[in-house]
Amino acid sequence: MLIKRVLILLPVIIFALLLQSFFWVPTYDEQVKGNPLRLEEFITASIGDARILNPILSADSASSTIEDQVFDGLIDRDEDLKFRGRLATGWKIYEEVYFYLNPKVAIKGRKISDPEAVRKLLLAQKGNIKDVEIIPPQKGETEILMPGPDPINLKVRFKAPHRFKVTLKEVDQNFFLKMEKVLGKGYFKTFRPVDHIEMLTAGHEDKLSAIASQVLPATENNPVIIFDLRKGVKFHDGQEFDAGDVKFTYEAIMDPKNLSPRTSDFEPVKYLEVIDRYKVKVVYKRLYFPAFGTWGMGMLPEHLLNSEAMKREAEAKGEDPEKFSMRDSDFNRHPVGTGPFVFREWKSDQYILLDRNEGYWEGAPNYRSYTYRIVPDLLTQEMEFYGGAVDSYGVQPHQVERLKNDPAYQNFSGLSFGYSYIGYNMRRDLFKDKRVRQALGMAIDTDKIIHYVMYDQAERITGPFVKQTDYYDRGIQPMPYDPEGALELLREVGWVRNSEGWLEKDGKRFAFTLITNGGNDIRKSILTIAQDSWKKIGIDVKTDIVEWSVFIGRHVNTGNFDALILGWSMGIDPDLYQIWHSSQTNPQQLNFVGFKNNEADDLIVKIRQEYDHDKQVEYCHRLHRIIADEQPYTFLYVTRWTAVLDKKIVIKEVLPTGEEEIKKITPTRTGNYSFYFNKWIKLAENPVFGME
Amino acid sequence: MFSFTVRSFFQKLVTLFFISIISFLVVYLAPGEPSQIDPLNPKFTVEDLQRFRQEFNLDKPLHEQYYLYYKNLFTGQLKSWKDNQPVLGKIYERFKNSLWLFIVGTLITWCLSFPVGIHAAINRGSVFDRTSTFFAYVLISIPSFFFAYILIIFVVKTFNISVIGMQTFGMSGADSIYQIMDRVWHLVIPSILGALGGIALLSRYVRAQMLEVIHQDYIRTARAKGLSEDQVYYKHGFRNALLPFVTMFGLILPGLIGGSVIIESIFAWPGMGRMGYEAILARDYPIILTINFMAAVLVLIGTFISDLLYMVVDPRIRL
Repeated sequence: MLIKRVLILLPVIIFALLLQSFFWVPTYDEQVKGNPLRLEEFITASIGDARILNPILSADSASSTIEDQVFDGLIDRDEDLKFRGRLATGWKIYEEVYFYLNPKVAIKGRKISDPEAVRKLLLAQKGNIKDVEIIPPQKGETEILMPGPDPINLKVRFKAPHRFKVTLKEVDQNFFLKMEKVLGKGYFKTFRPVDHIEMLTAGHEDKLSAIASQVLPATENNPVIIFDLRKGVKFHDGQEFDAGDVKFTYEAIMDPKNLSPRTSDFEPVKYLEVIDRYKVKVVYKRLYFPAFGTWGMGMLPEHLLNSEAMKREAEAKGEDPEKFSMRDSDFNRHPVGTGPFVFREWKSDQYILLDRNEGYWEGAPNYRSYTYRIVPDLLTQEMEFYGGAVDSYGVQPHQVERLKNDPAYQNFSGLSFGYSYIGYNMRRDLFKDKRVRQALGMAIDTDKIIHYVMYDQAERITGPFVKQTDYYDRGIQPMPYDPEGALELLREVGWVRNSEGWLEKDGKRFAFTLITNGGNDIRKSILTIAQDSWKKIGIDVKTDIVEWSVFIGRHVNTGNFDALILGWSMGIDPDLYQIWHSSQTNPQQLNFVGFKNNEADDLIVKIRQEYDHDKQVEYCHRLHRIIADEQPYTFLYVTRWTAVLDKKIVIKEVLPTGEEEIKKITPTRTGNYSFYFNKWIKLAENPVFGME
Repeated sequence: MFSFTVRSFFQKLVTLFFISIISFLVVYLAPGEPSQIDPLNPKFTVEDLQRFRQEFNLDKPLHEQYYLYYKNLFTGQLKSWKDNQPVLGKIYERFKNSLWLFIVGTLITWCLSFPVGIHAAINRGSVFDRTSTFFAYVLISIPSFFFAYILIIFVVKTFNISVIGMQTFGMSGADSIYQIMDRVWHLVIPSILGALGGIALLSRYVRAQMLEVIHQDYIRTARAKGLSEDQVYYKHGFRNALLPFVTMFGLILPGLIGGSVIIESIFAWPGMGRMGYEAILARDYPIILTINFMAAVLVLIGTFISDLLYMVVDPRIRL
């Protein structure tokens, strides 16, 4: 019977065809089956795909991983997280300060209205002052945008007196304080800009004083960075990198058409000047140290992205050149940079493929290609690692014990840049007293959380700085677990246990709601543990898990919560302005717990204005101590990451004698194991190292 | 017949219009904003966020956004918010990948369900019948992601072989025969998994349909004529049992999108289902809405086709 035979044979044939393919596929131990070049390929996997491969437009970590390989910044951080030159061979930082001649204040008993005399006085001050220049009085008209509900352009006429431009050898945020000793107390503060300007827009005379200091700022600190650029560095298309590209990259970020998420990083730049082909001068509007680190951003090739190139592309695509911006360009999917790897192919949600840059200025990487796979599921990522189709795997906390001891792999671990915390809404009366916050922290056994929830893959943290930097003060002890002490502290504030065991004050029970976002099992566990620990000392805590967007929109942004569990991921830079400064406590801002402390404010501003590392560290330690004492958050932990690599991956270096040297991969002091990635290579067999 | 076709077509168009409105409202009124607008990113100022909202037309009234969205969709200008790529191009790219999985999966489903169902029906009450019933219920009740993980772990741990994605990575230097076979291998497990639920269901239908048919009078007549068992079952029985399945062809079309979300996500398969799922997570409205719209279109086309097929095989409908 034909039909019967077909019905039986068809599935058999289909299955036979499908299953025989098994014999063609390489396995972990035979990665080179039918494919010897596998050893020169590095394959890594990520949960999410990159969004846009343009360093000035992207804001996600997948994109920046690829950009790090394709683009170079002017600077980056070395093994010890200190800055080092990349496309810049070196840099110089100094400062230019400005102030006006102020004859009202007496200098050593007499009022000086001759600028030359003031100049001499300043030059006589040895030390930091390098040069003093007199800017003759200036007149003119200008327009100032008055922000507000209906912004308005105000026209003013100004008549400025003599002005001084002082060039300092080093940046000094206390320059004006020190100079008051020379020029007289209040020399800078008593300069009244209002006296020198005149409102031209009728009907707005009352706003004069509000905008006066914008037109004629009494003092100005302008830090200056001069970068010396590396000569002979070529973009992947052969064009040489030069100062024009740096200027272009800066201008592209500031161009509102491009919607760059990095605009706020570069807003403090006053202007950028190309001195010669290999020298760039960047002048800042104000003291702002974090701005220096932003030059680690990848440099764009001007010749591929300037307005002419954009216009050509828009026309080729038949789109309106007026509307066409860098965001629409094909460049974002075919980036061209100066980095160690050259972009080859991007298949969305599948992989991004890079080839080595044979002409890389630091020497070509050992790997011939770099593949960035997108595997959206952690378990399958792990499976691909076992199957030999991914070379490294970021281990989950509960797997560390097992995989660390697996002889087939080498493993590395270190601390991540970020921490989890319980934040208290300090606007609420309940949490106003710091003893209450301290007591709440003492009632929670964080070590147990680390042990049972995090499988020991986390460490205690006491403050908001990255733990492996020197900004973090390791001398500060974490809160001890001490429920008795917590009760003692609460008693001091007036909270006493009633007959049912609940804490009470003036007949009211100590009760509040602790919330966190959904979709994070670890936070969910902490929520339960915290609730239980607090219940043990008599606090009535309700908990709630809220979907992320509602959590942010209705609770965090509006400050409508008692306490919450959340985490911050941080940069290395110690700038805490957005999260801890008292000016950032309004709705939509990031100091949503409402932390306000004058000394902390002062230190936060000082830290971002300080260009001297040692002083910065000193301020940070003081700030750390204040925050640890105030306990606006109960700082919980910083997680420890662990990565496993195929054991066959080693460091290969060519010695000057021409011999090849094979070394084991060792992490840097700060735990970064892929710092020498460009020297990695995979061997066909497990290497044997002499002494280990 | 013609008027039925036209009427049915117009009904579908009206339905599509309402679906477009409802799906638009559901997506836009759900809480949350596109992931580009990230208020917790310290680098974003309130003005930056506002600029993004403007760029995405989110500051306009809803009806205007609705109009702009469908206008852009039909003129082909709609772009994904995630990477500024044209939506239709992205979906076409993914469609090609999903299609392979869909074809192989459907092939396995239909090729396996019929023999199993028929055999079970003929030998009703036998050990085979009871085991196949048992496994069919097991397969229907256990969620497919669970099977997927078990199967992946089993295969990888036993053979140390790659099963995720469309190919083994690091094979770019291999001969093309290795590469082709590698691609086939990567199709095997996800398509089997995708087919399992279908096999369980469809083999039950086949069995029931077959059982109904073999108790008809004409089967008894065929037997009385002295035909062999095979001829009775496969010529007289099977052909008649087949009729209702013709119409089912129309209804498997929407499976192209909806049936693959879980399997594609687990296997990192770059198909449409996974793209839709990820777009939902990133609140990439243009992609979500377009896929939604296309799914609706596919469902309607599917029902339209089955309406037509029904009309062909069952004359009563034409009235």
